[in-house]
Amino acid sequence: MKREEDSIVNSQGSLSVSDESIARLLCDDNHVEEAVRLIMKKYGEPLYWHIRRMVVAHDDAEDCLQETMINVYKYRSTYSNEYPLSSWLYKIATNESLKLLKNRSGYNLSVDDLGDSLKDSVREEASPDADETLILLQEAIALLPAKQKMVFNLRYYDDKSYEEIHQIVGDSVNTLKTNYHYAVQKIKDYILEHQL
Amino acid sequence: MKDFDLESLSREMPYRMPEHFLDDMTERVVAQIGKQRKHRVERRIVALFASAASVAAVALLFLHPFGGGFDIPDYESISQCASVDEVLQNMTADELGVYSMMSNYYGN
Repeated sequence: MKREEDSIVNSQGSLSVSDESIARLLCDDNHVEEAVRLIMKKYGEPLYWHIRRMVVAHDDAEDCLQETMINVYKYRSTYSNEYPLSSWLYKIATNESLKLLKNRSGYNLSVDDLGDSLKDSVREEASPDADETLILLQEAIALLPAKQKMVFNLRYYDDKSYEEIHQIVGDSVNTLKTNYHYAVQKIKDYILEHQL
Repeated sequence: MKDFDLESLSREMPYRMPEHFLDDMTERVVAQIGKQRKHRVERRIVALFASAASVAAVALLFLHPFGGGFDIPDYESISQCASVDEVLQNMTADELGVYSMMSNYYGN
């Protein structure tokens, strides 16, 4: 057992470490820091982009990712092998993103009311050489209601199956499909309307 | 009506991630987790000492119910304490002045 763990720790630079091995390390108090390093190596970038697509600004994405990883440590005992580790991580990241947006919207507004301000941030945050259509796409995504945004991003960018999205978001597969369909339609309309 | 093929678009993002961001973030998170673990260990030690102290207190009560085992000074030993008059007799004139002033102030 010890030799197996050592080999996992030594190969932390490799992305071939299985989620089962990472989960095992995460539940072991003596190896929790190695597990966090492995998670950051394997999922840090996709989680960052998943969060950034939700909150738009880099500084907010940074705060959310850090909170996500701290929560991974804090609530590691709640992880169940029934679900893939990646779904659990995405779920925490999604919740952190929604929490940040909720704090931003205040008591009187909902997360969905932030669309316009998020849309404005897209252009501010875009790099100077960014493709105009990609900016329009992000603006259209920013204007979507939170649920449609999550479903669209997870399916379109992260190639998640509806079953995996169900594990992350919690809605039924049929509801998710409907959300995705509406999201695609709204995005297409927005791009067609604003494209030069 | 014109249609737009989303699938034809690149999955690239129009934003950039700062260089070394993920490495820096990893170190920050690991450092924070280290701090939290240390606090947790400290809290456990304090809780352990508190439990040990509680057990000791209960054991002491069990062994010496109603404080029977403690040394409580009896009347004789109390009476051996110097009386106020004796103390006053041994005071210098200055000390008596201060004592009288303080007594007046506190109404004694």
